[in-house]
Amino acid sequence: MSILTKMLKKKQVQRKNDNYRQKLDPSKPEELVIQKDYSANVSRIEEELGHSADLVIRQINIGIVNGALLFIDGIVDGKGISEFVVETLMDKQISSREVDVFQYVMDQTVALGSIKTITNWNDLYNALLSGCTIILLNGYNKAISGETRGGELRSIAEPTQQLAIRGPKDAFTETLRTNTALIRRRIKSPNLWVESMKIGKVSQTDIALLYIKGIAEEEIIQEVKERLQRIDIDAIMDSGYIEQLIEEQTFTSFPTTYHTERPDVVSSQLLEGRVAIIADGSPFVLTVPALFVQFFQAPDDYYSRFDLSTSVRLLRIISFLIALIGPSLYIAATTFHQEMIPTTLAIAIAAQRENVPFPAFVEALIMEVTFEILREAGLRLPRAVGQAVSIVGALVIGQAAVQASIVSPVMVIVVSITAIANFSTPVFAMAIAARLLRFALMVMAALIGFYGIMVGLMIMAIHLCSLRSFGVPYMAPLAPFSGPNQQDVFIRYPFWAFKDRPKFIVKGNVVRTGENQKPKPPKQSSHKSDKLEENES
Amino acid sequence: MEKAKITPKQLFVLVVLFEIGSALLVGFPVGLKQDAWIAILFGMAGGVLLFLVYYRLFLYYPDLPLTSYVEKIIGKWPGRVIGYFYIIYFIYIAARVLRDFGELLTSTIYNRTPIFLIMTVLILTISYAIQKGFEVIARVGELFFATVYLMAIVGFFLIIFSGLIHLEHLKPVLEMGWKPIIKSSIKETLPFPFGEMIVFTMLLPYLNQAKKAKIVCISGMILSGINFILATIINIATLGVDSFQRSPYPLLSTVSKIQLFNFIERLDVLFMIYVMISGFIKVAVFYYAAVIGTTDVFKFKDCKQVSFPMGILILITAMMIAANYSEHIKEGLVTSAVYLHLPFQLIIPLVLLGTAFIRSRIKKASEA
Repeated sequence: MSILTKMLKKKQVQRKNDNYRQKLDPSKPEELVIQKDYSANVSRIEEELGHSADLVIRQINIGIVNGALLFIDGIVDGKGISEFVVETLMDKQISSREVDVFQYVMDQTVALGSIKTITNWNDLYNALLSGCTIILLNGYNKAISGETRGGELRSIAEPTQQLAIRGPKDAFTETLRTNTALIRRRIKSPNLWVESMKIGKVSQTDIALLYIKGIAEEEIIQEVKERLQRIDIDAIMDSGYIEQLIEEQTFTSFPTTYHTERPDVVSSQLLEGRVAIIADGSPFVLTVPALFVQFFQAPDDYYSRFDLSTSVRLLRIISFLIALIGPSLYIAATTFHQEMIPTTLAIAIAAQRENVPFPAFVEALIMEVTFEILREAGLRLPRAVGQAVSIVGALVIGQAAVQASIVSPVMVIVVSITAIANFSTPVFAMAIAARLLRFALMVMAALIGFYGIMVGLMIMAIHLCSLRSFGVPYMAPLAPFSGPNQQDVFIRYPFWAFKDRPKFIVKGNVVRTGENQKPKPPKQSSHKSDKLEENES
Repeated sequence: MEKAKITPKQLFVLVVLFEIGSALLVGFPVGLKQDAWIAILFGMAGGVLLFLVYYRLFLYYPDLPLTSYVEKIIGKWPGRVIGYFYIIYFIYIAARVLRDFGELLTSTIYNRTPIFLIMTVLILTISYAIQKGFEVIARVGELFFATVYLMAIVGFFLIIFSGLIHLEHLKPVLEMGWKPIIKSSIKETLPFPFGEMIVFTMLLPYLNQAKKAKIVCISGMILSGINFILATIINIATLGVDSFQRSPYPLLSTVSKIQLFNFIERLDVLFMIYVMISGFIKVAVFYYAAVIGTTDVFKFKDCKQVSFPMGILILITAMMIAANYSEHIKEGLVTSAVYLHLPFQLIIPLVLLGTAFIRSRIKKASEA
């Protein structure tokens, strides 16, 4: 690792300042602020934006004062601008010289919800490029910025990645404000705090940091902020960028941040003391700290009754294990430990494998790799051809490969079960970890059988125990073990017993459920039914 | 010393896994026939007493490992020499356990695999854990503890339901009288596994609540002792005295006898998993003690520098200590019991405790 960092360092070239902020020379303070001459200001903006086609400049005249209205076409709400800014500005005419025109325009004419005064270029560009309308007036060394963000955006749709049988059906979109609103609608508490910052030297992407004051630990919030502020990159295209830049360890296949497209999941995680990070332009919201067990919790677990959700969760954990060690168990059993297989089955497998020219490991590898290719191709394929691939996959990989004696039927079964089991992990990032490590375990099994698998699993356990997510041990509450925190691990407790927030994340404000929440049948009703029976008799 | 802190729960788990570790493989006092379990009971009692000695020493110097306070008690250079010997002792036992483990695998399942390969793979895994630090080992221990107990309980019920238990094998009690039992408790069960608690004198300073050290360690020893006794009784009751004495790994023979519904059989895998986990923890604890001992005695700055070379050293020692399995076992039960365990587990700690006691008295007297 250290060699790698050294190599990277040598190649590093001085980074150019692509940001307009740094282009400004701080030694000349007059360049930083807006000048009184509005036409000079306008021409400077035009010049600095390279006369871009989407910049709209509209000259206005409010009686005695000339001015200009600027906005970027496409990212603004055009109707709003014409109705509440242009129209009202044109209606008003000032003739007296005594009136402060700037103040008058701000107070009386522009009919927008959010309005600000801007004095320096930095803020002006920030506002202009994020969809605000700028009004410059002659003779004033400041500008008005009105909130007119809008334009064509995707509307709220159903989640496509994390499906649930029961529960809310809205998902995040690419718009930051819509996403914060979706969470705000669910948690109507003044303690839900939203902090914002801009990341990305060129892109200036808006990032929102959400947490519930009083539940989330101050240390974790600070840590998240520090890591976010440390990011120095051109652009943030998706929250995946942020995830990779703030996680604790790069060399791990396990996700140490959680991402979801469901606002209900984010809301409940905020209530568990986690911090959410929303990036503008990404429908996936990150939450940290993330624990290993969290990746086996699906939203349905909380919406359906506890017995059902517990058994389904156990099923999910088992299928994760199958996805991880399925093929390697088959390899180990057929190559090294034939005595483990019941005799009749062993004979059947041997008969099937008689015509197969490859050792079990090669056979498994062929099938697994083919399946991974199919899966990846299925993902990238244009929708119209998707069906063709599934037919080819089912026929060629299933039937024909067996008939051609390239693989044995048992192997096909093993690979299919593994593949299906892999899809039952609720979060894709964790499923991918199992998918990757499966190959490593297959190699270990091919080398030294069960012993190899055990060693592989042990190394995995050591690795998992050494991971941390924002200071919280990744395997908590299993290791370090904590009895009271088992409420949401293997068994999802009924809600009346689901009392504590995870204590590894929340230290102060722990209790979330009141006393005596266990439902009881009312005493009188039983009397009534008794009486009814008496009457009947 | 590394900056690590473990909780009492984690220490408890480590003590239990460590104590039952390789004892369940090779530690049965088979010479006593059906009375083997009594010797374990005595060994456990003796082990608890012995631990109290280590605990008093820990109370005198609650922040220091054994290798450090030896220097404080008997002076810088003699202390260093003793500390150095302790490091070698830990390396030797780590190597012994590793060899036990390798011998087991090569003699049962991997007949044609070189023992060197098997031991290399395990020691590499352990050095990875050591590299990650003691906290990680403790956490891994917690995960493994749950696994081991789950398997043990399943195995226990399966043995009972298979109708393998014949308690009459345990009679007659005290066939040969008390004398051989006491002799074997002192020579066999006390030093191995209970006296091996000496290694925890290196690790107790990591505990975050020093007050709980005593109760945690003693309860851990008692739990593991009970497990050990239970395993012995089940083995004798299942196999009968004859097979129990002759089988190289009685527990493996017992587990492989389980047969239920013509379906649940050949559960050797359960045993294998247990062996790997316990071997891992036991070697890791000794290995880690040797590593921090070395950093302490030779004043290294970072114990991670030593960890990998130490692993190679343990591996080579494990290869060299014996030419074959019988030599290895004889050396472990006879030679090392007298020439190694006795001085390192009993005599040196007692002398140290006596000296420390007198020193503190003198100090108090001079202060008063």
